[in-house]
Amino acid sequence: MTTTATTAVAAAALGTRGLSKTFGHGDLAVTAVRAVDLTVAPGEVVLVDGPSGSGKTTLLLMLGALLEPTAGSVIVDGDDIWALPERRRPSLRARHFGFVFQDFNLLGALSAAENVTLAANLAGTTGRAARELAAAALERVGLGHRTDFRPDQLSGGEKQRVAVARALVNNPAVILADEPTANLDAANGRQVARLLRALADDDHRAVIIVTHDNRLHDIADRILWLEDGALRQLDTLATDPVCHMAVTPADRPHIELDGTVWWFCSAGCRDEFAAAPARFTSPQKCVP
Amino acid sequence: MTHRVPLARRYLFGERRRALLSTAGVAVALLLVLILDGIFAGAMRQVTAYVRSSPAAVIVSQRGVRTMHMSNSALPADLAAQARAVEGVGWVAPIGFVSGVVGAQTGGRQLSYVIGYTPGQPGGPHHLVSGSAPVDGEAVIDQIAAVQLGLHIGDQVRVLGVWLQVSGLAEGGTSIVNTTTFVTAAELDRIHGPTISYLLVGAQPGTSATALRDTLTAALPDATVQTRAQFANQEAAVVADMSADVMRIMAIIGFAIALAVVCLTLFTATLARRRDYGIIKALGAGGGRLAGIVIAQAAWTITVALATSVALAFVVGRVVEAVAPTITIAIEPASVLRVAIGAAVIGAASALAPLRRVVAVDPASAFRRTS
Repeated sequence: MTTTATTAVAAAALGTRGLSKTFGHGDLAVTAVRAVDLTVAPGEVVLVDGPSGSGKTTLLLMLGALLEPTAGSVIVDGDDIWALPERRRPSLRARHFGFVFQDFNLLGALSAAENVTLAANLAGTTGRAARELAAAALERVGLGHRTDFRPDQLSGGEKQRVAVARALVNNPAVILADEPTANLDAANGRQVARLLRALADDDHRAVIIVTHDNRLHDIADRILWLEDGALRQLDTLATDPVCHMAVTPADRPHIELDGTVWWFCSAGCRDEFAAAPARFTSPQKCVP
Repeated sequence: MTHRVPLARRYLFGERRRALLSTAGVAVALLLVLILDGIFAGAMRQVTAYVRSSPAAVIVSQRGVRTMHMSNSALPADLAAQARAVEGVGWVAPIGFVSGVVGAQTGGRQLSYVIGYTPGQPGGPHHLVSGSAPVDGEAVIDQIAAVQLGLHIGDQVRVLGVWLQVSGLAEGGTSIVNTTTFVTAAELDRIHGPTISYLLVGAQPGTSATALRDTLTAALPDATVQTRAQFANQEAAVVADMSADVMRIMAIIGFAIALAVVCLTLFTATLARRRDYGIIKALGAGGGRLAGIVIAQAAWTITVALATSVALAFVVGRVVEAVAPTITIAIEPASVLRVAIGAAVIGAASALAPLRRVVAVDPASAFRRTS
């Protein structure tokens, strides 16, 4: 690593150098993430997109101190979290990261307030102080009136907002979100997206989102494409009109139709489109 | 302030049906142990009731004989006079003691200790519920035996094959095994032949029971001399020796059932919550915190079950005594303490397997999709 690069990573909310993960050994070895260099600044929202099985969640797990990399480092506060003793990692997760999951992952036995308070407890804040932090976090996500409700009494959007409150209750520098809008309808998805953007803008947290959801492109400062374990930054994306996957126009199959270029994730989608364009061309445009 | 979200309690009591079944299962198992212990303690009380309620400081028996229960004692006729001459002796009351059968004209029969004593002297029934002390040709029977045999004061009762008239009803002399019948010493001599089985000896003021025992032991080398407490303990030991193995086996079975129930409950609850444990671990819980949740669940289960079982034991004791008066269920603090210690041990043991599971939970499992 160069001195300049080291300084940049140290100033970042989170950085990685040569981060790799290989599962299995020998002939059966599968490399899910290979040599990823990534720097995320405070207040930045970074989207990581890519096909299923491309290694997005594996990358997120390594960033969040949940899965040990095969090689490379994850730098937080100037320390490589994977060089720390294992006993220090739970505390690091509690204090430095906020997690938002696709399935919300609220504890069904606890109320909304208790779910958030528990996260504060895990970071070492207990009693009234923890309850006050939880109340403030729930108020922040617009659920101050639903604190005593259990998850099964909340809508999907409300559950995810509780999860966001839980993620921010310990004032973490980094929010890691795994498909946070995948189980939400359009309105709730937009609301959660706005919340995540606000966590970056208002609190200067780094927000890293793994997602397939194109609705989240609007809130991203950067969009990264992970394919075959390698990251690539995308300036612009197009949407495959057949499968609705975000695709990079540069090296993808495409068709020009009535002056418009349509981009596809695969030749299969292109051929399906070519057979009956009218099925896919209205109402949205899929130009880069 | 260190108050935290009571996750263990929420998990345990959040699913009320499971919590109810598990605590009820453990409570019933502990209740079984408590009731068995209570029956045992009650039987001890009953068996030693005559000795414990006696005013004697010291009891003299045939050399080598230390109990009334399961024993036969015969003393020389002049031993009472020898005892009276010993320094520190306040009074001496010889009693005859024979095991036999009492019966009613209706055909009912009961095993009975028959005690012959001199009315007006110590050795008779501790408390007469009704009627009067016997004279020759009469007997005092226990009120529970009277109910069971359908006898009343004035009725005829067959004692060791001889018909006597019921003169009074005593209490506290009937156990699950037998009853106690009192006749005059002269009547016992007539029925059974001259019989002096034990000497009940009172101490003069200022003489302790142990001092009197030592003096009498020296003065009566051919007899066994014990304080009343020693004698009662020996009686209890005989009963304990006879039933200890059975009681121990039953207690082990009870504890084993409780252990199985707690183990099953905690294990299934832990498996059902495995994803939750993964989430909590991902959010920053260490292994110790997760272990604490499982241990707290075990502690809650055991505590609630123990409290329930003790309360139920008192209720069951009352009900049993009302339905079967010969059975006394004595729930004693020592018994509750023993069961509490046993329950704590099974709680700790039952937590072991779930502990291994939760500590091994992969926090990355929180990111696996459920659908």
